[in-house]
Amino acid sequence: MSSFFDLPFEEPAFDESAGKPAPDPEHHRVLTVSQLTARIRTLLEEQFFEVWVEGELSNCRVWTSGHMYFTLKDKNAQIKGVMFGSALRLLRFKPADGLRVVARGKVSVYAPKGEYQIACEHMEPEGLGARQLAFEQLKERLSAAGLFDPQRKRSLPALPRKIGIVTSLEGAAVRDIIKVLSRRYANAHLVIRPTRVQGEGAAMDIMRAIRAIGRVRDVDVVIIGRGGGSIEDLWAFNEEVVARAIAGCPVPTISAVGHETDWTIADFVADVRAATPSAAAELVVSRKDDFCARIDRLTHQLNTTMQARLHRLEARLRMLEARSGYAGAHGRIAMRSRHAAELSHELRRAVRAQLARRERAYHALRLKLETFDLRRRLGTIRARLATADGQLGAAFMSAHHTRKARLGAAAARLESLSPLAVLGRGYAVCWDAERTRVIRDASTVNPGDRVRVRLERGELDCDVRSHD
Amino acid sequence: MSDPTIKDFEAALTELDTIVKKLEDGDIPLEQSLQLFERGVQLSRFCHARLEEAERRIEILNERGQLQDAPAGLLTDEGDAPKTRGKS
Repeated sequence: MSSFFDLPFEEPAFDESAGKPAPDPEHHRVLTVSQLTARIRTLLEEQFFEVWVEGELSNCRVWTSGHMYFTLKDKNAQIKGVMFGSALRLLRFKPADGLRVVARGKVSVYAPKGEYQIACEHMEPEGLGARQLAFEQLKERLSAAGLFDPQRKRSLPALPRKIGIVTSLEGAAVRDIIKVLSRRYANAHLVIRPTRVQGEGAAMDIMRAIRAIGRVRDVDVVIIGRGGGSIEDLWAFNEEVVARAIAGCPVPTISAVGHETDWTIADFVADVRAATPSAAAELVVSRKDDFCARIDRLTHQLNTTMQARLHRLEARLRMLEARSGYAGAHGRIAMRSRHAAELSHELRRAVRAQLARRERAYHALRLKLETFDLRRRLGTIRARLATADGQLGAAFMSAHHTRKARLGAAAARLESLSPLAVLGRGYAVCWDAERTRVIRDASTVNPGDRVRVRLERGELDCDVRSHD
Repeated sequence: MSDPTIKDFEAALTELDTIVKKLEDGDIPLEQSLQLFERGVQLSRFCHARLEEAERRIEILNERGQLQDAPAGLLTDEGDAPKTRGKS
């Protein structure tokens, strides 16, 4: 019996039997399951509105809804958890079974199943920094996608037309780049697309900047970077959107995130990695220096090779001359000049003959070509001409007819307007003696002047006697 | 400046390279080598011109995708840049 009393289960009964006079009426109310669950929900959700909990992930599963379901456990207990897609997407690492994490969230009750769980808003891998893990995972993923393949790397343009720069206008990077380029490549043409390089939204900003500058005409290399900073400051350059934008840039890229030792994802994806913005500028410039030197060297070689060749020919000529003219100084000189004359004569004759031969060949060819061409084409041309002729004739005739008709009408119209027609009605025109002007006002002539009067038929030569 | 027989700077450079090699090998008739030489000179001139051609300019591409000349402050070299962040 005593063992019976010891059972905690019995305690309330015992207490109650001890006789509390006015027991809480609540205790006697019978609750429905829903009511109880609702109370539990209120209790738990108010109490555990925001908690941090650490444990090991297991049974991680992302459903098609995009939400992830998992169990968080330690040695002695476990709790179910859910993380909604919207929160899941913001994680910088991919949760996986066995990973120890610290999760932040609130406890919620799922009434239909009588279960409670933690709805996670955020989690970070424990120990290993979340960022480091995110970095490793992204690196692995992009590497698997082939974004770091050496075959993808493009070489920088020999001579950039315009150099694109994606960086902050406030940072040191832009000034460093301009300084180097101005010093060593006086006629560089830079196009800067300012962007934030750290803080919230920087990655998206950088991505947009890369996309925009890749489309600018004549920009054929893009430097993407910033001055140095802590690894947190550089973080935007470890974001996937930036990596993808660099990979998608239509022209070669140079990453220049000022950090000698740490590589960013951007460094892996870019076609060329420079340790600092200045180094990136040097890269572009040194290419130019290289090319200057190479062109100079080639030009020099071109000249010396040609000169050497001509010198050799000259020497050989002299030798030939000397050999044939070996008969004492006098004789030699005489021989040489004669030889030279002969040679030049010979040469001229040879050239002339050659020219004549070529000219003959040319004429023959041309004649052949012409006759061949003419004979073949003459027939077709003639035929076409004949039909064209017919068509043209017909066209001409009809055009002629309409033209003629129009002319007749025009003439009739003109006729009606002609002053001659007026003269026909008995009017006359009076001109001055030289027929330079028509006299409209009697006062413009004086008695004794001569005037000419045009009638419908013929003219009169008149003297003016007086006017009134 | 634009010569239809020359595609671009890199093509010109490669061709010049080939010409010099051919000339140095020396096994070509004089006439042809003279032609090559002429072409070489032409290419060399083209390359030099291209090197000097560009004008120095700094432009800013703004959010709306328009190009503007950079503010004068960026161009002038005011000693060292103000307060460099970290290294670089």
